Amino acid sequence: MKKILLIEDDEIMPKIVARILPSTEYRLEHASNGKEALQLLEETSYAYDLIITDIMMPYANGFEILSKIKHRDRPIPVIIISNAGNEDMIMEGFKLGADDFLKKPILPAELLIRVKKLLM
Amino acid sequence: MSQIDNPTLSASVETVSSYLETAFTSVKAATRFLENTFLNAPITIQIAMVFIIIAIVTTALAYISILRNRYRGYRTDKKLARLCPRIDNLLIDEVLSHPSLQQHVPPDEIQLNIAPFEQLPLHRRWARQALTGRIIHFRRNVRGNIGLLLRNLYMQLDLDNDTLKKLKSRHWEKKVQALTELTSLDMFISDVTILPMTNDRNRELRAAARHAYIKLSKNEPFKFFDIAKEPLLMWDQVELFRTITSTENIAIPNFARWIIYSGNKSVISFCLKLVVYYNQHNAVPAILRLLETKDHYLRADAINCLGKLRARIAEDKLVALYSHQPIPCQIEILKALGRIGSGEHVEFLKTEFLHATDFDLRKHAAKSLVRNQWVSDHPGDELLSSVSQENLRILRHCMNPLIKY
Amino acid sequence: MYSLKILLSTLIFIYGAFILLMYGILAVLSYRSIQLFRKHNSFTDFNQLLESPLAPGISVIAPAFNEGLTIISNVRSLLTLNYTRFEVIIINDGSTDDTLNKLIKAFELIEIEFAYHERIKTQPVRRFFKSINIAYEKLLVIDKINGKSKADASNAGINAASFNYFLCTDVDSVLEKDTLLRMVKPFMTEELRQTKEVGEPCPECGHVHVTEDSKRVIATGATLRIANSCEVEEGEILRVRPPMNPLPRFQEMEYVRSYVLGKVGWSMMNSVPNVSGGLGLFDKEIAIKAGGYDSKSFAEDMDIVTRMSAYMMDNHQQYAIRYIPTTQCWTEGPPNMTIFGRQRTRWGRGLSEIMNMHSQLIFNPRYKKLGMLVLPYNLFFEFLAPIIEFVGLIIYLYLIFTHQVYWLYATILLIFAYLYSVMITTLAICWDQLTYRYYRSWREVMGLALMAYLEPFIYHPLIMFFALRGYWFFLTGKKTPWGNMQRQGFGQPTAPFPKLK
Repeated sequence: MKKILLIEDDEIMPKIVARILPSTEYRLEHASNGKEALQLLEETSYAYDLIITDIMMPYANGFEILSKIKHRDRPIPVIIISNAGNEDMIMEGFKLGADDFLKKPILPAELLIRVKKLLM
Repeated sequence: MSQIDNPTLSASVETVSSYLETAFTSVKAATRFLENTFLNAPITIQIAMVFIIIAIVTTALAYISILRNRYRGYRTDKKLARLCPRIDNLLIDEVLSHPSLQQHVPPDEIQLNIAPFEQLPLHRRWARQALTGRIIHFRRNVRGNIGLLLRNLYMQLDLDNDTLKKLKSRHWEKKVQALTELTSLDMFISDVTILPMTNDRNRELRAAARHAYIKLSKNEPFKFFDIAKEPLLMWDQVELFRTITSTENIAIPNFARWIIYSGNKSVISFCLKLVVYYNQHNAVPAILRLLETKDHYLRADAINCLGKLRARIAEDKLVALYSHQPIPCQIEILKALGRIGSGEHVEFLKTEFLHATDFDLRKHAAKSLVRNQWVSDHPGDELLSSVSQENLRILRHCMNPLIKY
Repeated sequence: MYSLKILLSTLIFIYGAFILLMYGILAVLSYRSIQLFRKHNSFTDFNQLLESPLAPGISVIAPAFNEGLTIISNVRSLLTLNYTRFEVIIINDGSTDDTLNKLIKAFELIEIEFAYHERIKTQPVRRFFKSINIAYEKLLVIDKINGKSKADASNAGINAASFNYFLCTDVDSVLEKDTLLRMVKPFMTEELRQTKEVGEPCPECGHVHVTEDSKRVIATGATLRIANSCEVEEGEILRVRPPMNPLPRFQEMEYVRSYVLGKVGWSMMNSVPNVSGGLGLFDKEIAIKAGGYDSKSFAEDMDIVTRMSAYMMDNHQQYAIRYIPTTQCWTEGPPNMTIFGRQRTRWGRGLSEIMNMHSQLIFNPRYKKLGMLVLPYNLFFEFLAPIIEFVGLIIYLYLIFTHQVYWLYATILLIFAYLYSVMITTLAICWDQLTYRYYRSWREVMGLALMAYLEPFIYHPLIMFFALRGYWFFLTGKKTPWGNMQRQGFGQPTAPFPKLK
């Protein structure tokens, strides 16, 4: 059972992701903004196997969360999902150590494959 | 009143009625007084009196409007708050988890189970509108087969009827709404419906119709580039850019065509951006020809495009042009040399960096030098040690990876 | 003597009638603008600007002076604005508290060498900081010697800005997340009609002088509101509420009227006199060419807009300044009489400065709308209003004492002016509610709307008094003890009361 944290301010996305990732294999938790996400991460002392995050959110953006995660001794794989197709932003994400980038609208099969690959 | 027996009551009724009578007469007297005042007053006072009435009525109307607006908004919010979770659950249960999706059945052949949707109050227009909105929202988040299936649902529930009705509305904003709905759902619209709208009096509607045409028409989607006479506003360009780059199954033409032949500058500069996006190297000769243009903003765009395409063959020509360009174009040339980064014009950049008087020119020359890897290759260059304090600062600025611009 | 009296009273009547007429026109125009806004809002998707590589870059400039308490959450809030191509420039204007140290620690800043080009002269800039964490790469912090004004600090920010547009704001104001998206749109829907030089270059100077007949947007603004009673958490607005305290509540009412009805209405005529110092998006090129903010001015926001407009007219370029009706910025209003008095005195002083400094533009037909409408209107109906009202009041008292007042007509005129001002304010709140349903319940809206009945007795005399005090300070050139980072002037006080006789 793998634990995944989804950070996303769109209310629909968590429902969709929950459908795409079979609940028998993954446990999905959801934070709707940067502050909630950082709180969840602190409380559980970063006990997640994978993090899927949006970039633009209130309180703290995806990059900030990403840099927090990647500065730890045991980095957690991170997938960025965003509708910002701006090349610069994608590059910034990878510079900060993002493992994958998916552009909205997502392809369900693609998300599933990437998640599987990162959790192998 | 004669039926009343109780004497105290009848007495009090009498007092009340007498009061009423006095009130009535005094109102009458007041009216007469006002009437007399009004008739005898100078014109300014008469105007003021009329406006007192107008002000009272308008203020009252404003209160009513505020209250009505709030009440309606509140009710809609409440209704939607009840309806939307139901819609979401249905969409997830019936569409997103449809069993056939896993078995690779083509989405066109999948029969959706519509029955549960019938329980929604879809006989109401607001509910249908909410469902359409939600379907579009879902499609913004997922594409692929689920996206197609969502579109099937939209059609099977006949929601497109509403949209088409809006398309025929008298109000331009309704038409634009309908067009945005249709484009976000990839619905086919016949050219006959859409073409008249591209000539509408309203600019917004024209733009929306154009975008819809590019996205949905099966015949030459880029026809508008040929005939567009008015400038494409920046905002239109953003919308067009998204439409073009997000449409699947669209045949991307060679944009050089319009760069050479279009008389519309905004179309040319927009095509330059598309050329960069699609990396159309075969457009370079056309862009080189564009360097002759008299409009230096357009020339700057062309130089920018050459730099982003990393067109090495353009370098010599750009350097040759440099001396007699206005500053915006000179800056673009320096930037382009940095982007192309062949290392062949390092001497030129060095001269500009050391001797240009304009601060921005020196800065961009320094930046391009850094991008040409001159600094890292020549760490001990005597120039580096002899430059002025300010130029050294510029150079350090450009070399610092923390600074982006 | 008699004919003089007739003349005087006719003049006063015309003056009053003109003000009321103007407010009526503004109300109609702003209503049209809001209807248009609603139509656009029903289909505009601002998010497409987020994905687009064509989005114009914006530099957000926010000076900070001794803001140590809230600086971190405020900067964080600016960094999480919804936009892709932007930078945040914080100017530490010689703070004497730990503002800079807090910034350095929280955002992992290090000192860097920066190619700073002092296009506008400011107090010396000492150091530049960038973050070593890429997550904060949009942030640039400038440490500068205190210049005793927000204008000086903003100028340093403009000098360091890398994009073509800059947004000026206060570091302690709270911005809506979509502010940049919404405020940049007017630039983009008019931009391609902006003046582009075409034709042959001039043989003498090599520059191209032929220009297309088109308009260039040089500035946009949006509505500001008072944040005093809103629930704010770490730089995010959680719940909007009209101020509980009467003084800020009057200000909120005044802001709604002066932005939603005033500025938006003027925007329809393309005659916006002033883009608020609390929130404004500017074309950097024009702002620099016009000389940037005036660090000595008491109303540097109105001053820069006037100079930018004059620059455009001098160079025969058509321009536009646009206002959007939605509230994008929440700012702390003066909570008590002392601070409020200082603020308004400062605005009054600033306004008299502007009128004095730009007097050569007033009634100068070369400056078209700016010279013939915008500045004269501000001269007569914003600047002179408190004076005329004051004089009117004196005359009125004199007439009462000499028993020359015909009470009936006087009362009618007073009731008329009173009800008209109530109507204008109520309409402004009604329009505001049409753009978005601000506040949680109808009670809060009504609570705000009913303040209009008290305004003429309580709030308006205060504004008048402080404005006159500002004029007096301007005349006497009195040194004011407050120099730095006072809240900047927004709109001028509105709806003055004509005293008719």
